[in-house]
This record gives sequence, C-alpha cells and structure tokens, in this order.
Amino acid sequence: MSQNKDMEKDTELNHQANTGNSLEQDRTWADSLLNKQSLSQFNLSKTDAPIHYFESFPDQLMSRIANERLEKLEKKNAKIFFLPSFMQPLNRLAIAATFIIVVGGSFIFLNNSVSKKTQAPIVANDILLQELSSEEIESYVDANEWIAEIDIQAQMQKENSKLSSLDEKQIEEIQKIINK
Amino acid sequence: MASDQELIIQFQESINREANFTSLLKKHQQKVYYQIKRMVTDHADADDIAQLVWIKIWDKLDGFKMESEFTTWLFRIAYNETLNYIQKQKKQGTSHSNSDILEYENATASTDSPKSTEIQIGLDRAISQLPEKQKVVFMLRYYEGYDYEKIASIVGTTIGGAKANYHQSVKKVEGFIKQL
Repeated sequence: MSQNKDMEKDTELNHQANTGNSLEQDRTWADSLLNKQSLSQFNLSKTDAPIHYFESFPDQLMSRIANERLEKLEKKNAKIFFLPSFMQPLNRLAIAATFIIVVGGSFIFLNNSVSKKTQAPIVANDILLQELSSEEIESYVDANEWIAEIDIQAQMQKENSKLSSLDEKQIEEIQKIINK
Repeated sequence: MASDQELIIQFQESINREANFTSLLKKHQQKVYYQIKRMVTDHADADDIAQLVWIKIWDKLDGFKMESEFTTWLFRIAYNETLNYIQKQKKQGTSHSNSDILEYENATASTDSPKSTEIQIGLDRAISQLPEKQKVVFMLRYYEGYDYEKIASIVGTTIGGAKANYHQSVKKVEGFIKQL
C-alpha cells in the first residue's frame, strides 16, 4: 500500500517535471523511457490498412448512408400510412356517416321499443272492452259490487257530516225551499 | 481546398450535401481510422466503427454549431463509439485483442532481431494493457501531436487530467517493459 502511495507521489512529481511541456519535450521524454524505434514500429503496425481501403471507403459509406435513409423513409411511410388515409376527406365522411347511422339507428330502435311498451296495453284494453259482451260486464259488476257499496256508504257519511254541521236557521231555510 | 467550416456551412445549407460531406470524409478518414485502429487493433472492427462514426457525423452535422473545432468533435465521437464497441465486445466475449497480439508477435518475430522483437512485443502488450483513456491520450499526444486542450476535449477530461494520463501511460509502459 505504502509502496503504491510512494509511486503515486513520485508520479505526481515526475508529472510536474516532465509533462505539460512542449510537444517536443513530451516526445523526447517518452522516447528516452520507451525506445524510439519500438514506438515508431508500433505505430506502423497500428496504422496499416488493406490496399485501396481509403479509396473505396467513401463510396461504401455513402451507399450505406443512402440505404439507411431509404430504410428510415420506408419505416416512416409505414408508420404514417394509417394516419393520412384516416385524415382524407372521403374517409372522414365515411366515418361520420357510420357514426350517424349507428347513433341514429340505435336512437330510433330504442324509441320504438319504448313507445311499443307504453302504447300496447292501452290498445289492448280498448279492444278488450269493445269485445266484451254485456253479460260478461254484468257478472264482473256483480262479483265486485261490494266495492261500489263501500263507495256509496263513504259518500253518504260525507253528506251526513255536512248536514250535522248546519245550524237551525240553515235547516229552516232548506225546509222552506223544499216546501215551496 | 475548402476549409472544414466552409464545407460544413454548405452542407448545413443543403448545397451539394453529399459532395461536401464526401470532401470532409476524404480529408479526415485516415486519422479517424488510425485513432480507432490503435484502440481495437483488428481491421474489420476498425472499419465497422469508422462507418458508425461517419454515419453519426452525417446525422448530426446539421446540428453542429462550430463552437469547437470540427476535428475535436469528430475525434470525440470516434473515441466514444470505439469505447462503446469495446464494451459491447467485452460483454459478448468476442474481443480480438489477444489473437491480434499473437498475430503481431509472429509477424515481428520473423523480421527483426530477437532483442528488438522482444521490446516491440513488450511495448505492444504494455500499451494494449493500458486503460482506454490513457491509451488514447498517449496516442493523440505522441503520434498525432495534439495539444492537451484538444486531447482533454476529445476524451472528456481536464487539461491537467490529460497531462496526468500521458505521464501515467508512459510510466506504466516503461514499468512493463522493464519487467521483461
């Protein structure tokens, strides 16, 4: 650990002393430590390229760029294919018409079914009453006479209560009217 | 010959885009290729990466604001693309570095004296073992002669960091060769 720290310190000091100088000084310093001939040999080995590589590279690259641009365009077109056709006036009209047909149709259908529900029983009742014979009606009244009696009694009680609330003068006036 | 700036302005104004781009490409393709090749060794890999770099330049050149030198921007993209490529290869376990070193060792062994061959092999191995940033800083300073400001912009560090990287790379390679 301490050896590493010493090395780091040494490195810093050397850095101050040797680098950050002119390019020539930096190169000379590296040459003195690493062998100039080997360094230039190393560079030669790293900077070779196949014959005519640089002559053919621009054409190769430009054709690749052209291909990629085409691919991008195709992708773009494929992506926006639906949208423009969706936005075309004819299609917009077709969509609007379909919407109106669906909404209007369902409105009419619902309306019809409601009116059928409310009107059907009345029509049915009318027909039934007309078609009933008088005997059938009489038997129905006989069977349900008690309801009518209750109604009459209730009416009579009302009238009696009215009479009982009259005072003597009012009763005499009524009697006079009757006698006349 | 038109300057980089003129070519870029014409490209951005859609005047002979392909011709102007090709001019830029022809002007800088060798340096880009060499920078990549020094990092990946294998020609097929270097060719792949170089194509990716120039495709990226084509795509992004419209947005290039010329706040820095074109070459700084270009080499920065090349550096980043190469790092991405190396990382992908490491993940897939298909790095060519070992086989290439062996190939290089066989090639040099047959032509040079035993001592110089030993040094060259040592140098090659030592440089290949450097961290990518140190390797690139060393190459750009020693072989391309770029100033530290430009190197710092390319590898995404400070000027001081670039200087330290150069120093450490030389010292590490020296240490490795001494061990042989």
